[in-house]
Amino acid sequence: MTNQAPLELANITKRYKDGDQYIEVIKDLSFHVHKGEFVAVIGPSGSGKSTFLSIAGALLSPDEGKVLVNGEDIATYPDKAKADVRLRTIGYIFQSANLVPYLRAKDQLKLVSEMAGKWSKTNEKRVKDLLNGVGLSSRNNHFPHQLSGGEKQRVAIARAFMNEPDIILADEPTANLDGDRSTEIVELIAKEVKDKEKAAVMVTHDENLLKYCDRIYRLADGQLTLEK
Amino acid sequence: MFALALKEIRFFKVKYTLIGFILFLIAALVFIVSGLARGLAFDTAVAMEEMDAERFYLETDADEQLVRSRFMLSDLEEEIDREAGWEPLLLHRIRLDLVDSDFRENVTLVPVDPDSFVYPGVVTGESIESSTDLYIVVDESLQADGVEVGDQLYNEESELQLTVVGFAENQMYSHMPLAYIAEDAFASMEIVPDSVANAILLQESDEELEARIENIISGGNWLTKDAVVQATPGYSAQQSSLMMMIAFLIIIAVFVLASFFYIITIQKINQFGVLKAIGAKNSFLVGATVLQVFSLAVISIGVAIAFTVFVQMNLPPGMPFVFDLSLLFVYSGILLTVSLLGALLSSVKIVKVDPQQAMGRAE
Ligand SMILES: Nc1ncnc2c1ncn2[C@@H]1O[C@H](COP(=O)(O)OP(=O)(O)OP(=O)(O)O)[C@@H](O)[C@H]1O
Ligand SMILES: [Mg+2]
Repeated sequence: MTNQAPLELANITKRYKDGDQYIEVIKDLSFHVHKGEFVAVIGPSGSGKSTFLSIAGALLSPDEGKVLVNGEDIATYPDKAKADVRLRTIGYIFQSANLVPYLRAKDQLKLVSEMAGKWSKTNEKRVKDLLNGVGLSSRNNHFPHQLSGGEKQRVAIARAFMNEPDIILADEPTANLDGDRSTEIVELIAKEVKDKEKAAVMVTHDENLLKYCDRIYRLADGQLTLEK
Repeated sequence: MFALALKEIRFFKVKYTLIGFILFLIAALVFIVSGLARGLAFDTAVAMEEMDAERFYLETDADEQLVRSRFMLSDLEEEIDREAGWEPLLLHRIRLDLVDSDFRENVTLVPVDPDSFVYPGVVTGESIESSTDLYIVVDESLQADGVEVGDQLYNEESELQLTVVGFAENQMYSHMPLAYIAEDAFASMEIVPDSVANAILLQESDEELEARIENIISGGNWLTKDAVVQATPGYSAQQSSLMMMIAFLIIIAVFVLASFFYIITIQKINQFGVLKAIGAKNSFLVGATVLQVFSLAVISIGVAIAFTVFVQMNLPPGMPFVFDLSLLFVYSGILLTVSLLGALLSSVKIVKVDPQQAMGRAE
């Protein structure tokens, strides 16, 4: 069991209602990611990448199949338990930073720690280190509206790392950023994955970023196929 | 949770100050109207409210109104000694003028046995005693008009002079101050035929004694103090119209607050989605919202109480306004509950927010 994949999807199907018929966006999809592995998912727009990642991130329930997080099937968990999985086991990075507008950078991180009931003085240092790590040591006390797009995204990444999740999911984390910022952001994620042995999945459109990933999948027709 | 709630209020100062201010205005208005209601009730009936008697025997066709009821007491006095526990109550309205001053006031003379439960005692000056000296103890509101202990008040018609020996508190009835005088002194003035009364009072209910009195003086019935107070002319009309105002204010508070928080919640739907996506539970988000409403309400209501105290201190002296702290707390409690209920309405919306809302949206 030591080598168990932190995240495993087994025979997932997801349908959306379109008028009076259903469209299968994900069809009998199986997938897993190991510790210390950084996986990329690419595919055309509308192919279901966000849908796939939402299911993996406990934001959306599949119609069929299992979502195993550290061996536990969370697909059938009640909302409250899913929220807990999102809080403690999954760090989700969205396309836009999705920061809380009225919290300073350091408080964004403090919030997730508090919600997990893990807040203590020692975490004060962890907040500092994380913000240092994403190159924002001088921006601790800034509100989101005082940060640039790239800075906001870096705060979001630090927030995703705050509760030491086993799994990191990123849905086009660099879509709003220029090339250099994008590289920085993905390097940050890749470094965390290698240093801390996390399992990470990133959806992206940017070919330049694929070099940081260990495996690359293409999503088409509701199925994942390995590219590299 | 509390930190989050407060940080949001601090960040969106203007928005939350506005809601707080509206709640403050409504609360202040509720408090001031209730102060006026108490003030009017005070002037209208406080003397009876404070009367140390439980049972009032009034004429049946007096409509429960003290001043419309009238009994001859001679039979009763012969049959049952006052020691048995009954006391007559007579309200006799006269005009009194202050010597060497333009003060003139209608007062209600109340002849009493100074040792009986009908007599309230004094807060300043001396008490009256059973004698034929024309001494009176009057309501302290006359002090504000310049009447002092030792002053002579005279009644033009009867050419009688009464000496103020002391002041009693809470002795207003039908917007007139009461003036207590010893029965013997009142009898010696010879302004009413002997032994009449508006009502017969018992300090506590005593069915046997009540039945005996009813046997001797028929045509009356026994009422509670509360019934007599309610029947005071003007009392119910004033109180019910002011209570209606307060009720409306509270209903307005419900709607204003509920809609305000509802709109804020709708504005924040996306944010709630984000918070849920990063793992916030419903209980956390609802808790933070309720805490926000709670702190806003407590601050606004607190400021409104302070404001009411300020208003009360700066009102012109003749204004009927009574600052009743326990009543204020009751209304504060109602307003607080109403605010929290308004917030809970929004909670339904919060619980329904889908964490997927956080996907691919700009802040
Ligand atoms: N809530 C929904 N209801 C109905 N259809 C939906 C819903 N969400 C997504 N879809 C449909 O499912 C398909 C996949 O959507 P998804 O967002 O997963 O695509 P994507 O691969 O992430 O696209 P992009 O690269 O543009 O972000 C699309 O055709 C979309 O219209
Ligand atoms: Mg997408």
